[in-house]
Amino acid sequence: MNQPENVIEIRNLSKVYRDFWGRKKVQALKSLSLDVKKGEIFGLLGPNGSGKTTTMKLLLGLLFPTTGDVTMFGQPASNVEKNEKIGYLPEESYLYRFLNADETLDFYGRLFNISSDERKKRRDALIERVGLQHARKRQLKEYSKGMTRRIGLAQALINDPDLVLLDEPTSGLDPIGTRDMKDMILDLRDQGKTVVMCSHLLADVQDVCDRIAILYGGELKVMGRVDELLKSKEQEQILTSTLSDEALKDVKAVLAKHNAEFISADRPTATLEDLFLKTIQISQAQPGKRFVTEDDKAESPLDPADKPASN
Amino acid sequence: MSFDVVGFNFLEGLTHFLKVFGGVALTALIVSFILALIQYGGRGPGLYFKTLWQALVDFVHTSPRRVWAITELTWKESARKKALFVFVVFAILIMFAGWFLRDSVGRADLQLKIYVKFVLTAISWLTLPVILLLSCWGLPSDIKNRSLHTVVTKPIRRHEVVLGRFFGFTLVGTVILLVMGIVGYAWTVGQMPEAAKSELVGRVPVYGDMTYSNRNGDRPNFDDPNNLQNPASAATNVGDVWEFRSYIEGGTKSRTFYDFDNIDVAAAERAGQFRIEYNFEAFRTHKGDIEKRLLCRITIVNKETGLRVPLETFEVKEFSNRSADKTIILGGTDEEGNPIETITYREENTNEVKSVHIFDELLKGGDITVEVQCLDPGQFLGMARPDLFIRMPDRPFYVTFFKAVFGIWLQMVLIIVLGVTASCFVKGPVATLLTFGMLVIGSGFSELMQSLAIGTSEGGGPFESAYRMFMHLNPTVSIEDGPLKTIMTIVDQAALGFLWTVQYLFPQFEYYNMVPFVANGFDVPWKASLLPSILVTLAFVIPCLILGYFSMQLREMEAK
Repeated sequence: MNQPENVIEIRNLSKVYRDFWGRKKVQALKSLSLDVKKGEIFGLLGPNGSGKTTTMKLLLGLLFPTTGDVTMFGQPASNVEKNEKIGYLPEESYLYRFLNADETLDFYGRLFNISSDERKKRRDALIERVGLQHARKRQLKEYSKGMTRRIGLAQALINDPDLVLLDEPTSGLDPIGTRDMKDMILDLRDQGKTVVMCSHLLADVQDVCDRIAILYGGELKVMGRVDELLKSKEQEQILTSTLSDEALKDVKAVLAKHNAEFISADRPTATLEDLFLKTIQISQAQPGKRFVTEDDKAESPLDPADKPASN
Repeated sequence: MSFDVVGFNFLEGLTHFLKVFGGVALTALIVSFILALIQYGGRGPGLYFKTLWQALVDFVHTSPRRVWAITELTWKESARKKALFVFVVFAILIMFAGWFLRDSVGRADLQLKIYVKFVLTAISWLTLPVILLLSCWGLPSDIKNRSLHTVVTKPIRRHEVVLGRFFGFTLVGTVILLVMGIVGYAWTVGQMPEAAKSELVGRVPVYGDMTYSNRNGDRPNFDDPNNLQNPASAATNVGDVWEFRSYIEGGTKSRTFYDFDNIDVAAAERAGQFRIEYNFEAFRTHKGDIEKRLLCRITIVNKETGLRVPLETFEVKEFSNRSADKTIILGGTDEEGNPIETITYREENTNEVKSVHIFDELLKGGDITVEVQCLDPGQFLGMARPDLFIRMPDRPFYVTFFKAVFGIWLQMVLIIVLGVTASCFVKGPVATLLTFGMLVIGSGFSELMQSLAIGTSEGGGPFESAYRMFMHLNPTVSIEDGPLKTIMTIVDQAALGFLWTVQYLFPQFEYYNMVPFVANGFDVPWKASLLPSILVTLAFVIPCLILGYFSMQLREMEAK
């Protein structure tokens, strides 16, 4: 099987920030080397000051490397033509706040020399995709943070890019917005596009990324596939339907027979995100529905539908 | 009204431009090469030439559509950030100005002067500061807000951002100027009293070369340019207005000669009249009857045929400013409206009365000399080059008015290009100060800088002066010839060469002041005013855009 081609190649990349007199202030990146392959979602992780945003900006040509090379689609990062295939969502969606959504997308579309008809088509499709039809004529200064992220993503996709760079894509979004954003990122991968994202929200990264790199102090510490990095090599997990005490005792006996240590048995819990989204979903379908009983005993919307729930 | 209108010497201007631009560009290339070597070592030269090559490629691949996108963005930004609010201020000024300015002196020519000066000054002072602030703060605020990040990460070349911003602000300023210009013109015309409407013209003067003859009738050597430049060298210096105006003695053979070549006789004939306007100054050596004016005569000489036609004598009064008193009209129409095509005169030698066709004989070929003499013995008549001119058919007032508005526009473009360029490498407040500083220095200090750079320097240049101070030698004491003096002279010459270059780095904003022409009822001349203004703007636009390109290209958007 052919190995997917590299969309991004970073070799020995270092970045030193200097003061006005050329004296070294801080070394933000130390000899970073990594590749991003076509069609994957790649996550850059790290605490504040680890160098992930610096890496992103070096990729985009917003900063110049002190040493090392960055190539994207085989072209150096300083090459403007490479931007034809790239979409970029900055951390704070730094857009022109006096434009409305239509004008914003039209403006960025024109920077790609996209024809007027095509711009209109893409603009309408993207506005619908990010769910901003109702606010498309409002100036961005009136937008909430979540809406700004959505229009930010839309502008990053106006050129139908092959590579999308997302800086903190879910930052400031509510859980529904976060879910939508993650769905859109997964959609992009399904369309064969490559996504590089950096984020503090580890759960989000875990949900969508195929591969990750963890930076610390400007150095690459960990890199690999998420599932392989997280998979336990010393434990097994078996998921069954609810077991009786008798059955559980038998399972333990079997395990003991095979010299396997029984560690714990518990019912699996869903994520808070699942609970929240399910609540919203049911509330939209059945506006009067509540899951709070008079004795304040909580019932979960995640419970099977046939289970009695109070109104 | 006197303008010493001297045509702009294009070749000299071009030479200066090439010297300054070439000198600065060469210095920048050498310094940047050295810096590249220091910073990148062996890779430096390669990177250096790659950057230069990339600049060429970028300019060739400039996309007008992307530039226009930024231009439109700039327009929307300015409009939505209420920059056009300046119209409201202008409207308020216009609404109430009429109360204070109307008929303040009762003289038509001064009324025009007041209105025109007010309107054009108001337009300048409202437009230029707004544009200066917009152009100096546009890019820095984009960089600060990081909205430029989403732009430069698209396939746009950074100089296209600079160009787009430049054109955008120019568009904003053009719209502001156009609206204000039209409103200002309508207001000026509307405010002028009916009796003074005739002042709303753009007189087109043609100036001649002026020489004098002395009291014996001898004319100086015309090949010596000093005699043309310094009237005082030939005529009499009466101790009044020394350099600009000189005087001929009345009752002698002393005359002033204004030589005109290639006059457009056909245009004068179409207009049906040939007009000469003058503004001489009487200087009395004895007062006598103060009401009595000096008697003078003008003789028109056709240089091709030698035909001499003395015109009727006229009088020059001290302290008179009414232009109607100072016009000689040949031709025109008689009382019944029939065109007058001939002129009757008395021949100088024979005293015979003769008649000559104005356009076919007197002005034939278009090369004429106008001789002026004072007939009152003991009195003096003062003249300067611009004191007499042939008034060609007038241009409509709106033409000259909008030429002055165009002058403001050129000045605005220059401010925009300086502001945008400065904002490419410094922050908004610094860019504003820098541009404003250039505006102030270029408006009021160019003569001082010129005198420093090319004027005579008593006691030598900076190094020789320093030496003199150190050695307690006053400027009149000569320094002995020797290696020290030679070295000082060479170093001083280099320093003065540097100063000479530096003075041209500041645009001469005086060129853009076309208001006096309009205010005094003159057309704005192409060669003396419009052409140099256009060239000064162009001379700065091109190098500034190059500087702006490299500033943007070589800067890190996110440098900490």
